[in-house]
Amino acid sequence: MSAFLARNRLIVLAYAGMVVLLLVTAMFSPGFLSVSNMRSTVVLAAFVGIVALGQTFVIIGGGIDLSVPWVLNSAAIVMALLCGGQDLPLIWVMPLLLAGGAFIGLVNGVGVAQFGVPPIIMTLATNVILQGLILVLTGGSPTPSAPALIQFLSVGRIGGFPVVALIWLALTLAATLLLSKAAFGRHLYALGTSATVAEFSGVPTARTTILTYVVSGLTAALAGMLLTGYSGQAYLGMGDAYLFTSIAAVAIGGASILGGSGHYLGTVAGAMVLTILTGLLPALNLSSGALLVVYGAVILITVSIGSETFAGLGGRIRGRRA
Amino acid sequence: MDLVTVNGLSKRFGGIVALSEAAFSARAGEVHALLGENGAGKSTFIQILSGAVKHDGGSILVDGQDYRPANPDDAQARGIAAVFQELSLIPDLSVEQNIWFRHEPQTMLGTVNRTQTRRNTLALLEKYDFPTLRPEQELRRLTLAERQIVEIAKGLAKNPRILILDEATSALPAREAEWLLKLTRQLAAEGRLVIFISHRMAEVRAIADRLTIFRNGSTVAAHEANTVSDDEIVTRMIGRHLDRLYPERVPTMTQRIALKVANLTSGSRLSGVDFSLREGEVLGVGGLQGHGQRELFQALFGATKAGGMIELWGKPAAIGNPRQALTGKDGIALVPEDRRGQGLLLTKSVRENLTLSVIRRFTENGLLSRQKEAALVKEMVDFLRIRAGTPEQLAGTLSGGNQQKVIFGKMLLTEARVLLLYDPTRGVDVGTKGEIFQLMRDLAAKGYAILFHSSDMPELVHVADRVLVMRNGRIAAALEGEHISEEGILRAAMLETRAA
Repeated sequence: MSAFLARNRLIVLAYAGMVVLLLVTAMFSPGFLSVSNMRSTVVLAAFVGIVALGQTFVIIGGGIDLSVPWVLNSAAIVMALLCGGQDLPLIWVMPLLLAGGAFIGLVNGVGVAQFGVPPIIMTLATNVILQGLILVLTGGSPTPSAPALIQFLSVGRIGGFPVVALIWLALTLAATLLLSKAAFGRHLYALGTSATVAEFSGVPTARTTILTYVVSGLTAALAGMLLTGYSGQAYLGMGDAYLFTSIAAVAIGGASILGGSGHYLGTVAGAMVLTILTGLLPALNLSSGALLVVYGAVILITVSIGSETFAGLGGRIRGRRA
Repeated sequence: MDLVTVNGLSKRFGGIVALSEAAFSARAGEVHALLGENGAGKSTFIQILSGAVKHDGGSILVDGQDYRPANPDDAQARGIAAVFQELSLIPDLSVEQNIWFRHEPQTMLGTVNRTQTRRNTLALLEKYDFPTLRPEQELRRLTLAERQIVEIAKGLAKNPRILILDEATSALPAREAEWLLKLTRQLAAEGRLVIFISHRMAEVRAIADRLTIFRNGSTVAAHEANTVSDDEIVTRMIGRHLDRLYPERVPTMTQRIALKVANLTSGSRLSGVDFSLREGEVLGVGGLQGHGQRELFQALFGATKAGGMIELWGKPAAIGNPRQALTGKDGIALVPEDRRGQGLLLTKSVRENLTLSVIRRFTENGLLSRQKEAALVKEMVDFLRIRAGTPEQLAGTLSGGNQQKVIFGKMLLTEARVLLLYDPTRGVDVGTKGEIFQLMRDLAAKGYAILFHSSDMPELVHVADRVLVMRNGRIAAALEGEHISEEGILRAAMLETRAA
C-alpha cells in the first residue's frame, strides 16, 4: 500500500485537497458537515463520479470522451419515454439502454482504434449526432416523469446509506480491481504511456482502446438513468454539465490528461472536490457564474501541478542518462 | 592556454550522484574524446556544458572566465553547441527550417528571409561537404541517419567554437560515419574544439588527439590519444580488465529449422527475401543501411504488412501484428531499433516493463498475483544483472545498457524462442556490449534461434555464425566461415549497388 501511495502522490494530494476544502466549507457554512448535508453531497458527487469512471479509463488510455453529455441525456430521455412513468418496463429498458450506451462507446472506440479518427473529433461527432436524434425523437416536448423504482435507486436509502452512493461504491471497487489487479489495467497504462511501445510489446491495443470507450458509454448511460430518478424527470440538456465535470474530476484526481497515469480512486476525490465547491460558493454568497470561474481555476491549478511534476520527471530522466 | 577547464564538477539528481569531482581540460583546435560506460556521467557533463542542466559544485572556465550557463541560449552565446543522441528536430519543418530554427536570417520587416536562408544553407552544406540533403525536404520523410546529419548541420549553423558530438556516429551508416570523422578533423583544423563521445574505439583512435575517461561520475584518466592502448582504455573505463569483448564462437547450431522465410515482400523495400534460421544459430544481417534490414525485422515481427511465406518451427505462421508474433511457444520476439520509442515505457517501473508482454500469465481468476510477478521479475533482474536500485525504479532513469537489458528481459519472459535483435548494442557501453554478446551465445546454446542486425560491422563478423548481406531488399549473399569479414560484407553490399 505504501508503494501505491509513493507512486500516486497526486491522488493523495487530491484527498488532502478534499479534506481541506471540507473544513473550509464547514467554517463558512456550519451545517455543512451535518449527516444530511454530507449525504446529499455524496449523492451529487456520485453522478459526477459515475460518469467520470468511464472518462478515467478513456483518459488513462490516452483518449478523451466528449460524447458523455448526450449519451447520458439520451439514456435519460429514452428511458422516460419507454417507461411512461411505469416501473415494470425498467426490467428490459435499463439493460437495453446500458447496451445502447455500450454500443455508442463501441462506435467511438472502433472509430478511434480501427479507423484512426482523433478521439476529440470522433466523440464530438457522436455527441452531436445523438443530440440531433433526441431532438427529432422528442420534438422538444417534455417527457413523462421518472418511474418510482429509478427514483428509489437515486434518492432512496438502504440502512441510512443513499442507494446511489452504494452503487458508486460498488463501481469504485470494480474499477479499482480492473485498474490495479487485472491484466487489462496493465495494458491500459501501457497504452496511454506509449501506444507504440504497447503495440511492440504485444498489448492488444485496439481491443483495450475500444473497451475504455465502451465502459464510458456504459457509465454515462447509467448516470443518465439515475439522474432522471434524482430529478424526477428527464429534460434536454441535463447532461451538459457532465462533460466538464467528468474531465475535471479525472484531472483533479491526479491523472495526466495525456494518458498513462492516474487512478479511479483519484477521480473519486476529484468528484467530491467539485461537488463540495458547489456547496462552498453559495455559502460565500457567490453566484453560479462565479462557480464556473472557480471551477476553471481549480482545473488550471491542479493540472499545472500535475504537469510540473511530469516535467520534473522528464528532466530527471534526461539527466540520468549518461 | 586551455579553452575549457573544468575542476571538481559535481551534480546530483535527487539521491543519485551523476557527477562528483569530474575534471576536464581541452584546447582549441583538438578533437577530444570523452569515454566512459553508460552511466559514467558523460551525458550529464555535456548537458551542463550545453546549458541544459546546472551544476551543483565545482568550476568551469571557458577562455579563463567563469562559465555557468542559465540555459542553452547562454551556452550558444559563449560559442558552445551540442549535437545530442536524442534529436531536437521538428518533424513538420523542412531541413533548412530546422537547421536555422530560431536563428533565421531576417528581412527588414522581421520576417524570415527565405532567399538568404537558402543561400546560407547551401553554403553550409557545401563548406562541410555534407552528404546529400535537400534543404526544402520535410524532416518527417527522412531516415534516422539523415535526421542525425541535419542535427549536425544545425549544430554547425551556430558557428560554435566548441562542438559537442554525443554518439553522433551511432545512427550513421558506414560512409556517413566516415564523413563525420573527416568533418571533426576539419573542424579542429579550423581552430575549434570538438568534444567527441563514442563507444566505438576505432573511431576514437582515428580522430582523437586526446581523451578523458569518466567512471562513476569522476574523471579517472586523461591521456594523449597515442600514448595509451585500447586495452588500457577499456580497463580504465570499466574499472576491471575485460578479457574479451566477443565471446568464443562455439557452434551450437542443430539441423532443426526454426524460421524459414520464402519470398518475403513488403512495399518497395523488401523484394523477395529467402533464408532459413536454425535452432541454436546466430544469423547476422548486414549490408548498407536502408537496404531492407529494418523492413525485414519489422515484417517478421508483424509490425509492417508483408507478403510471402513464414514458417516457424516447421509450421506456417500468419503474423499480422506483434501480438500474434509474441504468442505461444512458436512465437518470435523483437528487440527493436528504437529503445526509447518502441521498446520501453520510460515513465513506468522496471517491473511493469519486464512483465508487460506476459502479464496474463500472472493472473488467477482474472486477478494479478503480485508474488508470482515479483518472483519472476527478480529472477530476470538477477539473470541479466540489470543494475536498478529496486524493480520499482523507473525504466527511464536507467542507463542505456540497463534499459536494453530490460527489453531483453521482456522478450525472454515470453515463450518465443526465435529472437530478432535489431542493433541491440547501439549506444551501449563496452562492458554491457560484452554481456549482451555472451547472452546471445548462451541463448543460442539453449536452443534459441537468433537473427541479429548490427550497424557496427565488426560485431557481425565476430558474433554471428553466418551473415546475410542485404542489398536492394534482397539477400545478396550469405557468408559463412572464413568468408565472414568486413571486407566480404562490404563487397557483397556494394558491388551490385553500383550496377543497379
